[in-house]
Amino acid sequence: MSRWLLGRVAQALATLVLVTVLLFFLMRLAPGDPLGQLTEERQYTPDQLATLRRLYQMDQPVSRQFVNWAGALLHGNLGPSFSFHRPVTALIAERLPATLLLGGTVLVINFTLGLWLGALQAARRGTPIDRGLTTLSLAGFAMPSFWLALMLAWLVAIRWRLLPAAGMENPLLEPDAGAWTRGLDVLGHLILPAATLVIVSIAVTMRYQRRAMLEVLPLPYIVAARAKGLSEGAVRRRHAWRNALFPVLTLVGLWLPILATGSVFVEAVFAWPGLGSLAAEAIGRRDYPLLMGTGMLVSALVIGGGLLTDVAYAVLDPRVRWS
Amino acid sequence: MPSLKSGLAVAIVALAGAAPLAGQSHARDVLVIVTGQQATMPIPTFMEGPANLTANADVADQLFLRLAELPKDLITTDERRFVPALAKSWTRRDSLTLVFDLDPRARWHDGRPVTAQDVVFTFQRARNPEIAPKLAGLLKHVTGVTAEGERRVVFRFDRVYAEQFYDATFNVEPIPAHLVPAAATVASPPVAFVQHPIGDGPYRWVRSVPGQFIELEANPEFSLGAPKIKRLFFRTAPETDTRINLLLSGEADATDNISTPLANVARVSAVPELRILPLPSPQLGYLLFNQRDRADRSKPHPILSDVNVRRAIALGLDRYAIVRAVFGQYAEVPYGPASQVLGIRRGSPKPAGRDTAQARRLLTKAGWFDHDGDGVLDRDGRPLELALNFPLTSEIRKQISLQVQEQLRPLGIRIDPVRLEGPVWIERRSRGDFDIDFSSATQDPTPSGLTQSWSCQGGTNVARYCDPVVDSLLDRAIAMPTGSAPLWQEILRRIEASQPAIFIYAPSFIYVVSRRFSNVVIRPESSWLLVRQWSIR
Repeated sequence: MSRWLLGRVAQALATLVLVTVLLFFLMRLAPGDPLGQLTEERQYTPDQLATLRRLYQMDQPVSRQFVNWAGALLHGNLGPSFSFHRPVTALIAERLPATLLLGGTVLVINFTLGLWLGALQAARRGTPIDRGLTTLSLAGFAMPSFWLALMLAWLVAIRWRLLPAAGMENPLLEPDAGAWTRGLDVLGHLILPAATLVIVSIAVTMRYQRRAMLEVLPLPYIVAARAKGLSEGAVRRRHAWRNALFPVLTLVGLWLPILATGSVFVEAVFAWPGLGSLAAEAIGRRDYPLLMGTGMLVSALVIGGGLLTDVAYAVLDPRVRWS
Repeated sequence: MPSLKSGLAVAIVALAGAAPLAGQSHARDVLVIVTGQQATMPIPTFMEGPANLTANADVADQLFLRLAELPKDLITTDERRFVPALAKSWTRRDSLTLVFDLDPRARWHDGRPVTAQDVVFTFQRARNPEIAPKLAGLLKHVTGVTAEGERRVVFRFDRVYAEQFYDATFNVEPIPAHLVPAAATVASPPVAFVQHPIGDGPYRWVRSVPGQFIELEANPEFSLGAPKIKRLFFRTAPETDTRINLLLSGEADATDNISTPLANVARVSAVPELRILPLPSPQLGYLLFNQRDRADRSKPHPILSDVNVRRAIALGLDRYAIVRAVFGQYAEVPYGPASQVLGIRRGSPKPAGRDTAQARRLLTKAGWFDHDGDGVLDRDGRPLELALNFPLTSEIRKQISLQVQEQLRPLGIRIDPVRLEGPVWIERRSRGDFDIDFSSATQDPTPSGLTQSWSCQGGTNVARYCDPVVDSLLDRAIAMPTGSAPLWQEILRRIEASQPAIFIYAPSFIYVVSRRFSNVVIRPESSWLLVRQWSIR
C-alpha cells in the first residue's frame, strides 16, 4: 500500500512540476504583457516602457527569468505581484480565508443537503416529490450564476434590505466590535454568495446521489436486508446510502479546485474578496507572478483532488486494489 | 442522513442574526465612496507603470497636497488663477524661474514640518527617468529644483512656455524625505511606507482591507482646515452593477462613474436619496486610422493612407446619432482630439454631420467602385474592407463598432469588428497591426499632451500620423505664454481636416452622491480632491 501511495504522490508531484513549467512559458508566449497594458488609457512611450521593463527585470531572456523565478520558488518566494506591488504569497494568504469560507460553506451545504435530497428522490422515485425536486434543481442549474446573483442582491439586499449587497465585512463596524458581532457580520455577507452558488450547483450532487441510490436499491444485499425485517429507513440509511456514496467521492475530488478558486462571476457580483477575483484580475493584467501563484495553487488542488479521490476509493472500497 | 428540518432552522437563525447588519444606516461624519479598483500604491513618484491607476491618484489626493491646485475653469496657462495649497504664495524671478513659499502650518501626519527639502527631494525623484519614467517625461523642461531656507523652493526651466506653473504644481505632490528611500522605485517600494503612507493632506491613513476597502480619517492638523467629514472609505467593487447595488442598498454614499447602459442611470435616478452629477471627463473615444501598412510598416496603408477615404468614412457616420444612442445626454461629439476637460475646445466649430452624398463623391474620386456588384467597393481587385479592433471588455466600443459597421455598409465599405482580449488588443495597437483601432484616451488637463499622439515624433503615435504643420503649430502654441488659443484652434482644425481619426465621443462622467452631503464639489481632474470641503446636512 505504501509503495502504491508513494508512487501516486510522486506522479502527482511530477505532474505539478510539469504543469508549472508549462504555465510559466505558455504565459509568456501569449500575446500581451503586464507593462504593455499601460499603453491603453494612460499612454507610455516606448522609452518609458523600456525603463519599466528594466525595473521589473522583464528585459531579460525568458530562460533567465525562469531560472530566477524557480530559484526564488525553492525558497518559498513567488515574487512580487506587478499590479499589487506585494509578495504573491502574502496576497494569496490574504484572499485564501475568504475563498475557503465561501467554497467550504457551499461544499458543506452541497454535500449534506444535496446528498440528502438525492437520496430522498431515489426513495420516492417517480412521485411528485421526485419530479418537483428534479425540476427545481435543474432550474437552478440552468440559471446563469451572475444573473441569479444579481436577482438575489436586488431582492434581498435592495428591496427587503435584509442582507448586505456586497463585500465581506461592513467597513463601518467599529474597530472595537466583538468577535460575535464580527462573525455575524461576515455571516450576513456570506449568505447571498453562498446561496447563489448552492442553487446553481446542488443539482449535480442530487443527480449523482439519486442515480447511485437507484443503482444500489435493487441489489440482492438490499433485498436480503429487507428480508431480515429491517425497516425501510434503516435499509436505506445503513445499507443503500453508504454504498451509494462512492460515485459522489469523484465529485468531491472535482470540487476541491472550485473550493479554492470560487466562482469568478459570483465573487465579482458580490465583491467577495476571494482568490477567484484575484486570479481573474491577474489574467486581465497579465500579472505573471500572481498568475503563476494562483495557477500553481489551482493545479495543486486539481492534482491533489484526483489523488485524494483515488486514495479514498482504495481505502473505502475493498474491490479497488492497491496497485 | 442530515435532517432538512435542522438545516432550515440553522439557515433561519443565521438570517435572523445577520439581518440587523444589512443596510446599516451610515454614522454621521462618514463618507463611503465605492470605486472599481482598490488603490495599491497611492504614493506620488511611485504611481508609475502598473501603479499608474486612477484609484491610486484618488487616494493620494487625500493623503498628499500639491503646491497649488488647478483653477475652477481648468485653465492651465495662467498661474495667477491657481489656488494656493502647500505653497501659500509664489513669485517669478524671471521668465525661467518660479519661486514658491511654503505654508508654515503644513505638517506631515507624523507631526514633522513640511520643508523645502521635501519638495526638492520629491522632484529629484520625479525627474529621474530611472525612478519615475512617466513623470520625468512630463517634467522634461524643469532643469532644477532647489531650496532656499526651510520654506522657499525655486524651480528653473529650460525654456519659456505657458505651462511652467502647471508642470511645477499639478504632476506630483511632495512626499516626506525622511521616510522614503531616495532610490526606491515602483518595482522595489518601501514596504512600511506603502503599508502606512504618511502625507500632509486632509486625510490620514488608517487601514487597508485587501480587496474590500481603504479607510482614512480626517487630519485635524490639516494646514487648510480640518475636513468636516471625519471618516472616509474607498470601497472596492469591480462590477458596475455591484457599485449601483451598494448605492441603492444604502451601503455606499457616492461613486465616480455610472457607465452605460443608460438603464443604470435610470435605476439610480429613481432613488430620491441619491443625486446624479454629470461632469466633464478627460476621456476621448476615437477610431484611429492606421497610416502605415499593418504588414509592412515601411509602406503606406493601402486604403487608409488616402485622405479622401478617411474623410469619406467620417462623413459616412452619423456621430451624433451614435452618441445619443449610447450615452444619451451624457456625451458630446468632440471637434478634434479634445476631451471635455481641455480648455482649448472652447470656440471650436460643430463637428461635421453625416453627408453620404459627399462621402460617395470622395470614394469615387479615390477610385473606389463596386465593379463586381457584391455591395462592397473595390479598387484594383482589392475590396474596401477594414478590420476595426476593440477590446472585449468595452461594451461601449462594441456597441459603437456595430453601429459603425451598419452605417458604412450602404456606402460599400465593409467594416469587420474584431473583439480582442485586452492585452492582445494593446499589443496589436502598439505594433501598428491594425486597420482601424477603437482607441480611448484619458487626457491630462493640459493641451500639450496632444504632442504624444498627434505629432510626427509623438511617443504614442502608433498610427504614424504626421503633419509637419501641426508639429510646428504645437511647438508655437506650447511656447506662447499667453494668447495661444487661436493656434490651438488651428491645430484642432488641421487635425479634423486631415482626419487621422474620427473623434466619436467625449463623455461626461456620471457621478452619484447621496443627498446627505452638502457643499459637494467634484473636480474633473481629480474626482474626490475637494471632499475635504464637503459637509453633512
